[in-house]
Amino acid sequence: MSAAPRVAPTVPAYRPDGFWDEMFEAPGRVRPHYVDLARRLATLAAPDVAKRQRAAELSFQAQGITFSVNQDPSGPEKTMPFDLIPRIVEAEEWARIERGLEQRVRALNLFLHDIYHEQRILRTNLIPADLVLGARGYRREFRNVDVPLGVYTHVVGSDLVRDGTGTWFVLEDNLRVPSGVSYLVENRRVLKRVWPQIFTDYQVRPVEGYPQDLLDVLRSVAPGSDAPTVVLLTPGVHNSAFFEHAFLAKTMGIDLVQGSDLFVDDAAVYMRTTRGRRRVDVIYRRVDDDFLDPLAFRHDSLLGVPGLLATCRMGRVTLANQIGTGVADDKAIYAYVPTIIKFYLGEDEILPNVKTYVADDPTERAYILEHIGELVVKSVNESGGYGMLIGPHAPAADREEYRTRVRDDPRGYIAQPTLALSRHPTWSGDHLEGRHVDLRPFILFGRDVTVTPGGLTRVALRGGSLVVNSSQGGGAKDTWVLEA
Amino acid sequence: MLSRVADDLYWVARYVERGIAVSRLVDVTRHLELDAGTEDFWAPLVGAIDLASEDVRFYLTSDTMNPDSLVSCVRAARTLARGVREAMSSEMWEELNTLYGSLATPTTSRQVRGEAVSFARLVRERLQAFQGLAESTLAREEEWHFLELGKFVERADGVARVLNRQSHLLAAGQGSDPTGPDVVRWLAVLRTCGSAEAYARYYSLRVEPARVVEFLLLNAVFPQSVRFSLVSACAALDAVGTLRAAVGNDPGPAARTLGRARAQVELTAIDEVFERGLESFLTDIQLLIAQASDELSATYLRDQPQPGRLVGVARATQLMAAQQQQQ
Repeated sequence: MSAAPRVAPTVPAYRPDGFWDEMFEAPGRVRPHYVDLARRLATLAAPDVAKRQRAAELSFQAQGITFSVNQDPSGPEKTMPFDLIPRIVEAEEWARIERGLEQRVRALNLFLHDIYHEQRILRTNLIPADLVLGARGYRREFRNVDVPLGVYTHVVGSDLVRDGTGTWFVLEDNLRVPSGVSYLVENRRVLKRVWPQIFTDYQVRPVEGYPQDLLDVLRSVAPGSDAPTVVLLTPGVHNSAFFEHAFLAKTMGIDLVQGSDLFVDDAAVYMRTTRGRRRVDVIYRRVDDDFLDPLAFRHDSLLGVPGLLATCRMGRVTLANQIGTGVADDKAIYAYVPTIIKFYLGEDEILPNVKTYVADDPTERAYILEHIGELVVKSVNESGGYGMLIGPHAPAADREEYRTRVRDDPRGYIAQPTLALSRHPTWSGDHLEGRHVDLRPFILFGRDVTVTPGGLTRVALRGGSLVVNSSQGGGAKDTWVLEA
Repeated sequence: MLSRVADDLYWVARYVERGIAVSRLVDVTRHLELDAGTEDFWAPLVGAIDLASEDVRFYLTSDTMNPDSLVSCVRAARTLARGVREAMSSEMWEELNTLYGSLATPTTSRQVRGEAVSFARLVRERLQAFQGLAESTLAREEEWHFLELGKFVERADGVARVLNRQSHLLAAGQGSDPTGPDVVRWLAVLRTCGSAEAYARYYSLRVEPARVVEFLLLNAVFPQSVRFSLVSACAALDAVGTLRAAVGNDPGPAARTLGRARAQVELTAIDEVFERGLESFLTDIQLLIAQASDELSATYLRDQPQPGRLVGVARATQLMAAQQQQQ
């Protein structure tokens, strides 16, 4: 690192405020891989940025890249706010993240295979057996089912954060139906369109290959067919991620189906087409386990396909991700992932966990109740920024409520220290301000593990806010992984 | 392709074509009002007679209670298109989506009242752009043929309806005076079907009721005529049928019904039409089109659950139970 001060003239007033800042190592001192971007930003006038920002927004609107809020089907469709200033990750740093994610996903799949078969890990004292077998995501219907290639989670989206020292942590794993990858691809496309100049100084690894990689993975797990028929199962247009479902189906060139388009006959899944029935081999399903099959799970589900679970158990159709993966992203089981990595791979974890207190454990529960004002308390099964309490920011009444909840349902809660999430310069009206960010990379697992070079950087657009979820007012940035 | 997707594409095309027709109607009622002033001129075109002239334009453009208003057509087309956007080109989807987005803003709805005609023209251009994009961006596969089918079924039905609404005037001996107000009336009929210029070029004659009916009903080469539309719809259906495996020699009930309608307009001369009575002739055509549309749904679109389905589920469940006992 050179000793010369690297001053960015556009942002003289920018203050990292003591947080880890992705772009600035100190006020006015830009990190080496951000220097060219800073130089580019220096030539910009506020109206110009505003104009490009508007162009990006219009582009998202025209394409209908929207999500619906509050599960309200008639409500307004919103575009996800997009911040033009990209986040940059160096090649070397990315390589370590990649290794860490691959290690994690391999270990979690071995864990899933084990707990649905021999249950070796439960016979040690490393993880309490009732924590695993009593998890809401554990599907005993799926025991002793052999899945193609031993892969349970074909698509994973893990959330990474950095603390005040710049250390990367895994905050949570999303192993059921992670979403957001369409934004990763579209953000890049839109940024190239509205601000092509900023790409000229950098060699950014492309992310457009994701749909093809996904299709390869889905084909690789087909049950024995040379030319398998792959479909994407969506809950329908009212689902908040419908855009992504349509986007992926279109870019992969596969049919986007709803539950009513499929039926089970003679132990096989078919879709209704204009030329009669057509056999389906692989279903990339974006429908939760609970709604997949009214015969097996929720009887009132109209989104699923009666008989799907039985067909899947017989190995006549492959679901991606498989049924019952939710047990491994249960937030109480998350606390044991380093143990899981050690047990199955004999390695230390490359990417550490955030320190987690499991309320199910009496000692840790006592700690949570006592220190609730310093902790983030989370429900083990929820996501999207719902069902959580940020202790330091919460009013006394809310803390009291969560104390009661933790006491009443200890299995349902965990707590973590409140992290000073890293920040990134973000356009705010007419200048740059630091905003907290996280990173969701996407990992594909078929014959091999592939980590898409990039990720969805989510940014809390409200100053000071730590919640980055789009349902809670978060936005997104393009994420650049640099060529080695 | 999926039956649901085919069905939705068929209806997207129908709503787009319907929107274009409604937009022409807005244009025409305004012209008539300025030329002739009285409502008996445009009322037969619209088919709604209890409305003042200002209100009729609201009814046609932005009345959400009217399922055939311009705004309703655009919304219906866009809502369906959103669910099947993966089956059309991005350009087509963005065209409909942007149009819908521009209707939703409050300023637009205020403008509509004052400038219904220019608003309607703008919407029409966008809808026609959608049709043009379909023409140039879609492979000639099922997606395209179902869109064509929807477009031409809607057009045949719409033109037949416009003519039918005029037929009682002819029956009552009105509307046949070759000079004076009847010229205005029949010109309006041609304009409503976007056919005034083509008529003039084809006949280069005075606007005569029988000629207008002949042109709109029986012309073989003009794309707005009922005959041309039915021939095109049959061709689209044939194309789908050829793609469909195991169909044998039977083209299916929808193709047979649509073919009967086509035969009527292909093989009847204009004097024979009037001999039979224009109204009954047109009503027959409209009924056949409606019947074909229903049969289409039964054959291709809403494929009923296979008879084996429940049996299959029961068997899968049994197999599953058997497997569990082996463990």
